[in-house]
Amino acid sequence: MTALDSVSLDDLLDAPSSGSSEDILDEHAKKALRGAILTAVCVPGYQVPFGSREMPVARGWGSGGLQITLAITGDDDTVKVIDQGDDEGVNAVNLRRLICSTTGAEETTEVDEATVIQTRHRIPEDPIGVDQTLVLQVPVPEPLRGVERNMVELARMHAEADYARMWVSLYEDIVRNGVITKSTGYPCLVGGRYVIATTPIPRWDVPRLDHAPFLSLFGAGRERRIYAVPPDTDVEPLTFEDVPFEVEHTDGATCSTCGATDAYLVEIPPLPTSADITRWVCSDAAWCRRQRGDEEVTS
Amino acid sequence: MGYAAARGGRDAITAAEQLVRDERESSSSPWLGIDQLIDRQRLAVDRVMGEGGLWDPHLAGRALQQAEGDSIEAAHLLRSYRATLPRLAYTEATDVDDARLLRRIVPAYRNPPGPQLLGRTTDYTGRLLDRADDDDWRESAEKRSAERDVLRADASVHAGEPDDDADDTKLGERRFGRLLDVLRGLDLVVDRRRTDDPEPVDITRTATRPPAARSARLAVMARAETGALVNLWYRNVLGPDGYIHEVTLGEVRHAELPVRITHPHTGGTVEIGSVRVTEVEAIEDLDGADEDRERFDVGYGLCFGHNEKKAIAMANLDIACERDRPIDGRASELEQSILMTTDGLDASGFLEHLKLPHYVTFRSMVDRKLAVRAAAGSDEP
Repeated sequence: MTALDSVSLDDLLDAPSSGSSEDILDEHAKKALRGAILTAVCVPGYQVPFGSREMPVARGWGSGGLQITLAITGDDDTVKVIDQGDDEGVNAVNLRRLICSTTGAEETTEVDEATVIQTRHRIPEDPIGVDQTLVLQVPVPEPLRGVERNMVELARMHAEADYARMWVSLYEDIVRNGVITKSTGYPCLVGGRYVIATTPIPRWDVPRLDHAPFLSLFGAGRERRIYAVPPDTDVEPLTFEDVPFEVEHTDGATCSTCGATDAYLVEIPPLPTSADITRWVCSDAAWCRRQRGDEEVTS
Repeated sequence: MGYAAARGGRDAITAAEQLVRDERESSSSPWLGIDQLIDRQRLAVDRVMGEGGLWDPHLAGRALQQAEGDSIEAAHLLRSYRATLPRLAYTEATDVDDARLLRRIVPAYRNPPGPQLLGRTTDYTGRLLDRADDDDWRESAEKRSAERDVLRADASVHAGEPDDDADDTKLGERRFGRLLDVLRGLDLVVDRRRTDDPEPVDITRTATRPPAARSARLAVMARAETGALVNLWYRNVLGPDGYIHEVTLGEVRHAELPVRITHPHTGGTVEIGSVRVTEVEAIEDLDGADEDRERFDVGYGLCFGHNEKKAIAMANLDIACERDRPIDGRASELEQSILMTTDGLDASGFLEHLKLPHYVTFRSMVDRKLAVRAAAGSDEP
């Protein structure tokens, strides 16, 4: 390979401020990411390999989602970042700080104000529209790893849509345990073709992906994969005709701050010595706050 | 939940950063400068450059300083800095025999072609903790240093040249044969050379996965975490699934390798600097039932800096990978382990992410435990 054959000298001279300490991704990296994102949108559910760059956050801490967000976000965007549904989770705060300070985008906690929503493991309870993009951080992009670990064989299974062993494992699960025990990241068939891992969002959020009006981009930085669910695409949880797909549910559980029952609730367990019972709260903190009628939290 | 609580996350992060910075910098001991790290913690700096995939002793020293000596964290700092830099050019292929030798040993023969040059090594130094008083140690070190300066000055007066290491320099710059050439001459090695000269894989720009070209495997190992490679090597010797049998080292070299690029305008070759590398050729006895029993195989390892453990593990695993050939279209398990599990940033980043909140997923898991219990209860007669 000859020197400079990847970039011409003129390109370099014209390149916008690449390499300044303010940038955490150079423009060539953003271009490569956008290419991978477009491929992912064109082939819904297919895991597109990409040359994941090292981010100022550790791999496993949202480096894939961060790269996608940086590649699609400009200073005319408004960004919401949540971790476990909460805008104020420390990792959400940290990522938002990085994204907004390097792109110049506005930050918000309100879904309807955001053009890009980066999330770790929740889809906000609020409706998301056609002009908004959801970026999901993915720790484990491979839905079939539980039944096969060899990567060449995994590539073959996806290429041939050979999901027989996945079906067998779901069947065996029911035979052994009476229910499908898969908790989060529930495997879904996208556009009738590829099986994806739905990050580890809870099953509660999975129906939201089916024929969603918005674009969902999944970024796995450590495993160097990007995949997408474009708007209005079939997202079908793998299950059997006589075994309905079940979302998380506990009889009588109610959010102890807003009183919601129709939201994803997380437990606050009582101390073993206390006479209290388990309490529940909404995981979507901004939504919960609005249900209570609290004023909007501004930055 | 009011404004203060909502902003608590950012305040807590800022306070945590402040705590790290203050404790690191507020010591009453003298400032630990980057030059101190480069001069006196050379192997730590070399390791960080190797795992960070960037040759820059000054930046690596700074990263170590900032990371409080955590080599994986320092490598991460280097790599995320590197990710901000555009790719300007690729170096020209360099013949490793152009490197200036600093150390070279050949364990396989008593008198190999070329020298046995012990160089800077603690291989034969007793591992005795020097418990001399620190001030005495410093005093004697300064005295020795002054004596060396006098000797150098004398030598330059007598020779009319500033360098009294002339013999060593000449030795270092001479080109010597390699043991591999001798073995090839004796027809004792299987020949894995190829004539098509494919472009090496750039693992920083593509998602490497099995099956991968040998250049990708070697590049991944050159950047791998040293401990991970040493462990994978040992697992192959003693673990449940080993592909390393009986290894003899052919070459162990520490050398300065010139870095050359093609000038973008003149098209000529320009030397723009040099990097220190450790290079190893490992000879493996092909003693498997279906292997070429008349010959050896040779694996190759090369990494930034002086890191013999890493280069030796790499050269051994290079052969082990050849041996663990893919069967029935499946990936070689060893190759998948090398490509996917030896990177320090990947492994430690994912491990550390377990500290993040997981209450959304955990709630879902508890839900399934209770569902299994309910299903079991309803099955009871």
